[in-house]
Amino acid sequence: MTHTLTETALRSVRLFTLAILALCAALFAPAAQAKEPVLDIQVITSDKGITAWLVEDHSIPVISFQFAFQGAGAALDPENKQGLAQMASNTMDEGAGDLKAQDFQRELRNLVISLGFTASRDHFAGSLKTLSKNKERAFELLKLAVNEPRFDKDPVERMSKANQSRIRSSLSDPDWIAARLMNDVAFAGHPYALNSGGTLSTLNAITPADLKAFHKARLGRNNVMVAVSGDITPEEVRIRLDELFGDLPEASLTPPADLTVQNSGKTFVYERDMPQTLIEIMQPGIDTHDPDYHAAQVMNFILGSSGFGSRLTTEIREKRGLTYGIYSTFYNLDHLFGFTVSTSTKNENVPEMLSLIQKEFQTMLSDNVSKKELEDAKSYLIGSLPLSLTSTDKIAGLLLSLQLNGRLANYLELRENAIESVSVKDVRRVAERILTPENFTTVLVGKPEGLDNATPIKKIPNAE
Amino acid sequence: MTRLQMLSFFCVLALGALTLSAAPLPAPAQAQSAAQTAEQSTQTPETGAEENSKESGEKVFNAQTTKLANGLQIVVVSNHRAPVVTHMVWYKVGAADEIPGKSGIAHFMEHLMFKGSEVIGGDDLKPGEFSEIIRALGGQDNAFTAQDYTAYFQSISKDHLERVMRMEAGRMRHMTLPPDEVLSERQVILEERRQRTDNDPRGRFAEQMEAAAFPNNPYGTPVIGWLHEMEQLTREDAATFHKRWYAPNNAILVVSGDVEAQDVFTLADKIYGSIPARDVPERHRPRSPVFNSLTSVTLEDPSIREPVVQTLYRAPSLRQDPETSYALEVLAEIMGGGPTSRLYRMLVIEKKIATGAGMTYKNPAWDDSEIWISATPTPGQTLGVLETAIKEELRKVVEHGITQIELDDAKTRMQDEAIYARDSLTGPAMVIGSYLASGASLDDVEHWPDRIRQVTIKQVREAAKRYLNPDEPGPHPPVTGYLLPKIDQMQEDGK
Repeated sequence: MTHTLTETALRSVRLFTLAILALCAALFAPAAQAKEPVLDIQVITSDKGITAWLVEDHSIPVISFQFAFQGAGAALDPENKQGLAQMASNTMDEGAGDLKAQDFQRELRNLVISLGFTASRDHFAGSLKTLSKNKERAFELLKLAVNEPRFDKDPVERMSKANQSRIRSSLSDPDWIAARLMNDVAFAGHPYALNSGGTLSTLNAITPADLKAFHKARLGRNNVMVAVSGDITPEEVRIRLDELFGDLPEASLTPPADLTVQNSGKTFVYERDMPQTLIEIMQPGIDTHDPDYHAAQVMNFILGSSGFGSRLTTEIREKRGLTYGIYSTFYNLDHLFGFTVSTSTKNENVPEMLSLIQKEFQTMLSDNVSKKELEDAKSYLIGSLPLSLTSTDKIAGLLLSLQLNGRLANYLELRENAIESVSVKDVRRVAERILTPENFTTVLVGKPEGLDNATPIKKIPNAE
Repeated sequence: MTRLQMLSFFCVLALGALTLSAAPLPAPAQAQSAAQTAEQSTQTPETGAEENSKESGEKVFNAQTTKLANGLQIVVVSNHRAPVVTHMVWYKVGAADEIPGKSGIAHFMEHLMFKGSEVIGGDDLKPGEFSEIIRALGGQDNAFTAQDYTAYFQSISKDHLERVMRMEAGRMRHMTLPPDEVLSERQVILEERRQRTDNDPRGRFAEQMEAAAFPNNPYGTPVIGWLHEMEQLTREDAATFHKRWYAPNNAILVVSGDVEAQDVFTLADKIYGSIPARDVPERHRPRSPVFNSLTSVTLEDPSIREPVVQTLYRAPSLRQDPETSYALEVLAEIMGGGPTSRLYRMLVIEKKIATGAGMTYKNPAWDDSEIWISATPTPGQTLGVLETAIKEELRKVVEHGITQIELDDAKTRMQDEAIYARDSLTGPAMVIGSYLASGASLDDVEHWPDRIRQVTIKQVREAAKRYLNPDEPGPHPPVTGYLLPKIDQMQEDGK
């Protein structure tokens, strides 16, 4: 029953995982010199061929064990069963093996084990966090949840209702509405456009049999990636891998097609009576394995990912007081590379806000960034890395995202070199390659004034 | 809404704190060293030592503390996991300390602290430069304001701790505040209010419930401020507020991370020690009158699709009544802590009348604390049905208390949660700062597991009887709120 607000993911990603996003970058940099590794990552392969990345740390008696089934996410949900992956994530920890929902949950709670699943558009992920003293039972419970989820009728219905409740609540949340609409228009015609959290009606259609079929088809020993950190040895991880995942079948999944941002140049408005308008902008981004990817990270830092000191924040918040926050972010899925700007402003200021954003994009295209901007950005992108390594969870989370992004285990060192080598010219080139201020896909939620070319949206798609 | 509902001890910021910006991050560099002659006060570290023989268990964070001659309290939590530190300054002043008519000034002040200030032993910072320097050093910074405190923090490589201290101490000593910056920043906080509250019926609903629950007490005024008063805040208001409250003897410095306590004490003495102590007023918090009628708040809004019923009870805080406060923490864990708690089990799993139900006890607080109980109905159920079911559960606990097994299980969980609290850089500083700024002691934090272990069945039942009895409300009766869809009049007429 991890009720993730799937539709707001787009905005919250921007807010809370800047550092991680910046790391999920690719690399075509000179081979790494012998440098002290940022993290001592051990790559472990089990007897049955399952791989995990481990950072061992016995200073705190905590183990964080995270994993993802690659390509098993909501993008594979049928249109009439939107929310299937989400429902599986909500119910796999609601009873497994001989343990019914409340028994399973009570054990987790009394042993203070955090065990749960989440579904994104691309992946189906799980995580376990336990104190070392409770690890035996924790891994047993995880094994049960992964291999023998019960999907009893009662918890399935309860979670279906909880999801429907979440959707009805979200229908009054402007952030959620804006994200839902952006997904719908920017990914039009693609499974990514559907509501990964389900709709009021499709959730009703999801049965225990559907969840069993989901479990059988999507969770395989061949598509699982594992990241571990904390109070555990490599020998133990090797054994746990086969215990947990060794008996799963081989999954054979057909990925969705690649996609680029749709409806470019168009503005959509969902009118709602409120004093402020939410603004979401998307345009195409850059492949995470593109040689210019790190230059793009630097460019984005200067433009708008960094909050204070970024051009968008300086011009729009600090100088003009037009908003509480404005951020730009690379929004990457397995089959889509996007670039977004999110902000909000008083209804009457919307036209000014939109033209200021365009202007900053234009300036980035047509002028070089300053040497100081470049150096500050590089300094932050490199120097802030240790801040992502301050808890067991954060380390495991980073290891998992690196694997999902197809990185090598020495990526953090490679990344540092790649960022160091970015020049003013590189930033300019990548800006010219990516930024398209004339072709934004724009979604507005509120009562914006002074717009004449916007397409009204009357009904929130794939919600009811 | 994550699955493991963290206990109140670990989510001190859950309610009511506003941050400077949604995403932290900061930038430029200009070297500044300059020998600042500080009055050297010799101080010996006190370890928050606790002689009480009942306190058997180990300390949660093993923090070291001392106090400078100018009254600045310093707390250090060593954690050598990564070569980074979190440096936080907590001021014992928040929105609840504002003068009537100036609501929002504490939070506005927090924003303005980034608009230019002195540096101890360095050049003044221009507007925005504080965060820019931090960022260029690979660090992150932010700030937040709550009813009882205002805090500023940076997380950064340990090599830059001294630099960060010089900057933070500089703005404690003096902010420069160019007049034109004040006006544009006032626009920013107005936009912040629109974004957080005015755009969202749930935000307006919570604000009105607090206002109803705290008549004549500053907790009834939102931290962000009332719109009409925020619009009138001036540079002068901010300068007065800074002068009145931002003194070393009204602040707590908390440093956590890859440092040793003695080194931090020495450095802080050199830098913060140069700022003279000032007279700071007592916290004056007008009390609510005794009322005996029940209050309810109803908000109908056309955008609401999912109704909610919430009840807000006033209850003692740790500072006011430790014994009751610990009992209420245990009670909230049993009643509302996640999917096996009493309320969830009864309303969601057994009766199937709610899709969600929970209870939280807010801690710490300088004045009265709050208990929130809320539930969301399944389709077809009325809020009245939920309210009745909640009252039934409360009556059960008032009449029969809790069982020994419930108590033991809750205690075990809460003890174990404390171990997770160490697994973080900023978390320990957050917990310690919020407790100290709300009038609790470092011992209260360090020995939290022991205090919880000492809670008895009788204490829990007494606390429930006294503060959650639906049939005998105390001097501050609870406020019940109903958030409802607004039924379109035309549509209704057409029926």
